[in-house]
Amino acid sequence: MKMILSIAWRNIWRNKTRSWVVIGSILVGIWSILFMLSFSYGLITTYVDNTIRYQSSHIQIHNPDWKEDQEVEFTLENTESVLQYINNQSYQSSATQRTLVNGMVRSSRGARGAMIKGIHSEKEGQVSHIDQKIVEGKYFTENKKNEIIIAQKLAERLKLKIRKKLVLQFQNAQGDIVAGSFRIVGLFSTANTLYDESFVMIKQTDLNRLLVLPNASHEIAVFLDNSKELAQVKSDIQNQFPHLLIEDYKEISPDANLYESQMEVSHRIFITIFMLALIFGIINTMLMAVLERNKELGMLMALGMNKTRVFFMIVFETLMLGIIALPFGLILSWLSITYFGKHGVDLSAFSDGMEQFGMSTLIKSYIPTELYFSLSIATVFTALLASIYPAIKAINLKPIEAMRKI
Amino acid sequence: MEIIKATGIHKTYNPDKIPVHALRGVDLGIEKGEFTAIVGPSGSGKTTLLNIIGGLDTPDKGSIIINNTDISSFKDNEMINFRRDNIGFVFQAYNLIPVLTAKENVEFVMVLQNRNLKERTERAEELLNAVDLGDKMDKRPSELSGGQQQRVAVARALASNPTFVLADEPTANLDSTTTANLLDMMLELNQQEKMTFVFSTHDQRVIDRARRVITLVDGKIV
Repeated sequence: MKMILSIAWRNIWRNKTRSWVVIGSILVGIWSILFMLSFSYGLITTYVDNTIRYQSSHIQIHNPDWKEDQEVEFTLENTESVLQYINNQSYQSSATQRTLVNGMVRSSRGARGAMIKGIHSEKEGQVSHIDQKIVEGKYFTENKKNEIIIAQKLAERLKLKIRKKLVLQFQNAQGDIVAGSFRIVGLFSTANTLYDESFVMIKQTDLNRLLVLPNASHEIAVFLDNSKELAQVKSDIQNQFPHLLIEDYKEISPDANLYESQMEVSHRIFITIFMLALIFGIINTMLMAVLERNKELGMLMALGMNKTRVFFMIVFETLMLGIIALPFGLILSWLSITYFGKHGVDLSAFSDGMEQFGMSTLIKSYIPTELYFSLSIATVFTALLASIYPAIKAINLKPIEAMRKI
Repeated sequence: MEIIKATGIHKTYNPDKIPVHALRGVDLGIEKGEFTAIVGPSGSGKTTLLNIIGGLDTPDKGSIIINNTDISSFKDNEMINFRRDNIGFVFQAYNLIPVLTAKENVEFVMVLQNRNLKERTERAEELLNAVDLGDKMDKRPSELSGGQQQRVAVARALASNPTFVLADEPTANLDSTTTANLLDMMLELNQQEKMTFVFSTHDQRVIDRARRVITLVDGKIV
């Protein structure tokens, strides 16, 4: 075996240029697929993270009837005990309650329908980081009544500015149409401008007063520090409060779920294409190497090298090319992904389109460590597969063919 | 005692198109320790006969018995293993493995025989010293002259302790001095180690040194 490995190793350096071309093509293949996957991961991960952070949180808790019909009366009955339960658990999380009502946002220049979110300003900041997304003005001030923050885009549409007043109009718990005047203290902008325009935020106490629903909440949003605990946390809460509707972000935002599952599928397709391209490239080269050495291979068999050994010699030669290229490809990929993971790829030229879909304009490449291992295995497996045909060609040679040529 | 016994060997190439009758009923016996040259003009069937004796080709008719073993019915891998253990080859174009050194080339067949490192090293060094290449053991074929390469090929052929050595036109690419040296060396090995050599050749210098000459004309021994 040692001698076969030694011959195989030396054989690949007989034609250095050709071997380096193959190694180079495998290396570039590994780098391009990993970098492309990291970009795709970055794009989708950013989208899903933004969705979780600014829209859905990891978990939302509602009155089960809320799902069917978002009526004001479908409130949560035991908000404080749910929040207390969540805060007492061992997992790291932030949770906040919200009051929600659909209504109209009116300015002197126009009106639009929107979801009015009554929030607990401090807890909301911890969950959705909306306080960090204020691009003009400021976040809520404690003890001040009738403050409102709205999306920058909505302000543009309604031709509103900071400190201007607007009127919110909606139906209260008694079925009466009520209105309240609010002063804009801040404009926010998240990565999803379309979603931004769909809601406004006021303090929960202000909204509850207008709704005539003191201490009521329609929603509890939970953000987990470790999203891997999601299934367990959801199950725990559901077991503790079986009469409540507990949904995770995949149920609330099917688009995020779709992207995540699509990501797996598309990555498998990418890797398959990569393997196919690589297979044909390697087969071509190894076939040339075998055909070029017909005479020598025949001579080896004439001397007593059996077919199994000849087969493995060709397989080892091919595997060696892949194994040489692999670490270089992985290192190059790791360096590129780390660099663009830190600095990001700036796509602000396409900002309008991307923000419409909730995509960040700065995509930071990212790839799960497992993918490095998966691709390494795929590369070795590809080289192994690619070696089979040339190896079969080699063992089907007749030694006499070589003898006739001498 | 005959170590090679060929009986009624027939071989025709292209039987369905333009048949070429390479061998037409060859009967041949070679005894241990012979130094035999098979001679004849080009196309007389020398190489075909050597290929059949060496198990590289199969006869259309007839049988080949080597060391009391009929090799005519061997399958591919059986034949490869039989060749490895019983037959040494010396080719006209040397056919050394270009990526291995002289010593590794000699060791190669012994590696295929799964012989241990110590045994391989000692045997390779002994043989290379015997062919006067003790100082070239670590040279690759490309660093050796034609004569030196052919001597390595002879050492390689002997490395497996074969029953006999087949040499197909071994001197065809060598000059007179190198040919003379190579023949001296092979005759010495023949005498000292009782190694059987069978050549195909039309080189008069080889024919002159052979102890037995078999002449083939149009696929028949005359």
